[in-house]
Amino acid sequence: MSDTEPVFIGIGEQPSGRYPNRPFMGDLVRVGVAAVKDAGLTTQDIDTILLIPCLHSPADQADLVFSRIVEELGLNKKVKCQYMVHSGGSTSDNTIRTAAGLIDSGHAKNVLVLQAEKWGSAPVTEMIDMLTANGIPREWEKQSGLSFNAVGALIQQRYMFESGSTPADMASVCVALRDWANLNPNAMYKDKKLTVEQVLNSKMITDPIRAFECPMLADGACALVLTSRSNARTLGKDRVVRIAGESGVVSHYSIGQEREVGKLGWELAGPAAYEAAGWGPEDADIAEIYDSYAAVLTSGLEGLGLAPKGEAARMFARGEFSPGGRLPTNTNGGLLSAGHTGVGGGTALLTEGVRQLLGRAGERQVDGATRAVLGGSGGTYMDSQVLLLEGVSA
Amino acid sequence: MSSSNDVGMDALTEPYREALRRGELVVQHCKACDRTIMYPRHLCPFCYEDQLDFVPGPTTGTLHSFAVHRVGSPTGFEHQLPYAVGIVKLEGDVQFLARLWPDAEGDWGHYTLDGAVVFRPADTEEMTARPVPWFGLPG
Repeated sequence: MSDTEPVFIGIGEQPSGRYPNRPFMGDLVRVGVAAVKDAGLTTQDIDTILLIPCLHSPADQADLVFSRIVEELGLNKKVKCQYMVHSGGSTSDNTIRTAAGLIDSGHAKNVLVLQAEKWGSAPVTEMIDMLTANGIPREWEKQSGLSFNAVGALIQQRYMFESGSTPADMASVCVALRDWANLNPNAMYKDKKLTVEQVLNSKMITDPIRAFECPMLADGACALVLTSRSNARTLGKDRVVRIAGESGVVSHYSIGQEREVGKLGWELAGPAAYEAAGWGPEDADIAEIYDSYAAVLTSGLEGLGLAPKGEAARMFARGEFSPGGRLPTNTNGGLLSAGHTGVGGGTALLTEGVRQLLGRAGERQVDGATRAVLGGSGGTYMDSQVLLLEGVSA
Repeated sequence: MSSSNDVGMDALTEPYREALRRGELVVQHCKACDRTIMYPRHLCPFCYEDQLDFVPGPTTGTLHSFAVHRVGSPTGFEHQLPYAVGIVKLEGDVQFLARLWPDAEGDWGHYTLDGAVVFRPADTEEMTARPVPWFGLPG
């Protein structure tokens, strides 16, 4: 591996959930400082800040774009550049691509990736209307009354039809994620258990999706620090996380134009990433895949070769992706049980993947986790992005 | 939220919406490469020529997937609950999101994926307020 190879060396996270007294900028500062400390750096070492957008407030989003965080961190005239990458839920994947390119090319030395969201404390109706206005074409689809839950329902209906999965199979996806969340002190639902019966007895919201199958909007914040492998060695790091492979595909803008809503773009995204990594889905120790609805996750697992076609939901029902299962999946509880922190849901999965590969996931640590498959998707599941991460010695 | 882009988009969307208001379904067509296009585009996405017009669309298609809103809707649709939307595929490789009529039992349980659906517009008032294609079960 080359000296300039980008590696993850630090992470920070604030608990997800409803925290109305935790200000947005405060979360960003706290999580950023935590990640920099975790990396064994000082904030003065950070030369590039990459920002993950927030969705709860155009004003806070403008603060992000216009460098408020640099001032808040006291880094005036210290930071070379700070800017935002944005592709909705897949932003974390695209941000890491950007960070990696900057480090490998020498344009950046130490990159701080920052994310915070206040969805859990924002007015729900306003947020739902905002989601309906974003990623849903107002010329062609808005007049139909399409809600975001219905986007998930269109995917789940088709997935269930093609795979023959039952409502109980789909419910078991949510239950497995809840079992993981119960092991994660930062998860929104760390204290609440969930059973298949509870899911099936909850109110039908948008057929075939019931109340307990809808993601809960949450506040949350994450940060990651990347540097070059040679810097990591100089810092005396023993273990770092490298990017073994990556790939992706953009499949549509409007859900009405997706040719295969039960599959999305995953099948096209995987092969190039595995080829670059030199290992395959059978070698993965963990998976962290976007899961704002159960079928988004099952289609991802299947499309990325981590489950045979049509089998992922039934495998969830057998506990194969649960704590102690064959392939630990969404080990933080995912968006469905750790909390849907907007664009940050993907960042939380990424942070969890890095945490597991650094061996620092506490009670839910997967023994010997070395290889992780990460999958992200944005908008109306407009893209399928893959990062293959590996824990290695520096 | 509207934007300054909406005014310019009217030229593209208006013939499509105008047909729906009349109870007709049209799809965009490229005279240069003779392909049909949905949703309507500024240039043909296949050959990038600017020779686009609208032609009557097929009135039967197949249902790729659907969802029934029962609880919760975007603002302005509360009084329509329950209502269903579906992805309809037509001959000529075009597809779009449509509203679905309730079945004979007043629900959507008789719809099957990959089954046939037929264009059947709503009344003029509804089509004027919300110009979208409506499909129902055959017969």
